[in-house]
Amino acid sequence: MKKTALFLSLALIGMGSALAADPAKIDWGKVPAVNVPLFYPGQSSYEWLISDAHKGAAKETKRGDACAFCHDEPDAEKDIGNNIVAGKRLEPTPVKGKNGYLELKVQAAFDDKNAYLRFQWATKSKNRPSIDYPGYRFDGKEWKAYGGPQLNADVLAGKKPAIYEDRMSIMLDDGKVPNFAKQGCWLTCHDGERDMPKLATKEEVAANPLMKAIKRADVRKYLPASRNDPSDWKTGKTVEELARIKAEGGFVDLIQWRAHRTNPVGAVDDGYVLEWRNFDAGKNHFASNMDNEKKQPKFMFDAAKFGAKALTADDFGKKDMFLIKGVNAVPFDPNAGWKEGDILAQYYLSAADAAGSAADNKGTGVWKDGMWTVVMVRPLGLTNDDDKTLKAGGVYSIGFAVHDDNITTRGHHVSFVRTLGLGAKADIEAVKLP
Amino acid sequence: MKTTRPILLAGCLFLALAGTAPVHAAVDEAAAQALAKKNDCFKCHAIDKTKKGPSYKKIAAKYKEKKLDEKEAIKQMIEGKKVKLEDGSEEDHKIIETKDPKELSNLAQWILSR
Ligand code: HEC
Ligand code: HEC
Repeated sequence: MKKTALFLSLALIGMGSALAADPAKIDWGKVPAVNVPLFYPGQSSYEWLISDAHKGAAKETKRGDACAFCHDEPDAEKDIGNNIVAGKRLEPTPVKGKNGYLELKVQAAFDDKNAYLRFQWATKSKNRPSIDYPGYRFDGKEWKAYGGPQLNADVLAGKKPAIYEDRMSIMLDDGKVPNFAKQGCWLTCHDGERDMPKLATKEEVAANPLMKAIKRADVRKYLPASRNDPSDWKTGKTVEELARIKAEGGFVDLIQWRAHRTNPVGAVDDGYVLEWRNFDAGKNHFASNMDNEKKQPKFMFDAAKFGAKALTADDFGKKDMFLIKGVNAVPFDPNAGWKEGDILAQYYLSAADAAGSAADNKGTGVWKDGMWTVVMVRPLGLTNDDDKTLKAGGVYSIGFAVHDDNITTRGHHVSFVRTLGLGAKADIEAVKLP
Repeated sequence: MKTTRPILLAGCLFLALAGTAPVHAAVDEAAAQALAKKNDCFKCHAIDKTKKGPSYKKIAAKYKEKKLDEKEAIKQMIEGKKVKLEDGSEEDHKIIETKDPKELSNLAQWILSR
């Protein structure tokens, strides 16, 4: 991975931004660092938070009081995370040996073109970060999903290997989402979502007017304003009402660096949360490698470049297995002599294919000595209707999340909300680059 | 760690040496804070700022003024009696998860000596 990824990303970041700093050349030693404690939240959904189970805090949380007003004692995050990760409450399927707490080092800078956010955290594994992604395995007849994140029922039951990519995510608001400045990401975390209590059934989703209208098959993060009853995913507002809220800026930006699906092509994805966790308009840096009509992969590895046309189970945890269009991918050949146990990637990557608002963000991550160092590059002054516009002097509310060690959904470590200021007073102050 | 306030210490020493009263254990600050932390007390009470509940300093001052003692504070911790909130509503106070009189007394003394 290392060489291709670095080369590609540097080339991309350099492209079309003559006045922008090269993030690799920023002297981060001169930029102040803020340590943000992250903790394992389990199933502490918004519905749990406003219920009597959140003893002595239900009414306050419901009326919008800040989490940190109460949760500000020393080691607050550490205690919560350690309690929950061990399964004492809010976690029905504890992952053995998982850490409840993680320290995230955050630095920020900006120039006339971009904001640069740098993150550092220690991975649980000291040998290798989670940079693989579940694959499609040929069983002699069909290509079936292989591997899954740690909270997946089959993985918990030991029927599938634990495979998932590390991620660094931020949610960001410019003051237009009510209460985000006080309650941060929890506004988007609800019962009914994947791996959360009262998981919505396929039938419930299929019968739901909003889900039908937006053509979604499951419930994902949503903001309270998108529902008539914020605690009931089924009470979605009309598409017209949602369009109005979006036009008024009532959504949060959701930006993710992904160790498998974006990092190798120097990218960071760009999404937003309103009625669902959407990707921005345009095309992502990664796309499904499954041809749903032919029920076979779209691309396989170029054996001349990759050393083999496919992976095997043995390669996981060992080999860099990014399938990159224009680099090591060739169109899938159904007659290439497929054997049971051959595995192909679930996603292929392409920086060249990425387009529109979805392709705004760039970035790179380097893992060394048990530590990820990730730099996200976000252009200032974006005017897309699915982006929050960053500008010099601006102050934003920001929440952080790290997915570490082959896990997704609630299996992350998260922060209480913070402020980010671009040359303005805030918890995290971005330094203006010379 | 045992930290002892000089005055208390002097008092205890005096009493102990004089042999006229039972030995008065000094407040074990670390134990008091650990118990309070474990029981979520700090989520509603800080040492010197108002959160959902009054600060420990304010509680200590009130007790001094009203000449209430540690017994009253322990009652608050173990009985879960109604507390009045700023907005006029009432709710049951948190019940502490220990019945050990020594631990309770130590925490009460710690609060009242803020
Ligand atoms: C009015 C004060 C108050 C506010 C506001 C508040 N909490 Fe709490 N929270 C508490 C108290 C007190 C407890 C301990 C009571 C309990 O265990 O239910 C608690 C417990 C929790 C727990 C379980 C922790 C554990 O170690 O068991 C989580 C998670 C939590 N809060 C998250 C939040 C989040 C997220 C917010 C903001 C959206 C929030 N709280 C807002 C007071 C508050
Ligand atoms: C959910 C919030 C909450 C938690 C948790 C909480 N308290 Fe309180 N506490 C209050 C409120 C509110 C009052 C104010 C009562 C009043 O003024 O009537 C109070 C009052 C008190 C008082 C003063 C009572 C008096 O007579 O004036 C003491 C002592 C006290 N709490 C101790 C504790 C201890 C010890 C803990 C942990 C075991 C604790 N509290 C946990 C909210 C809380």
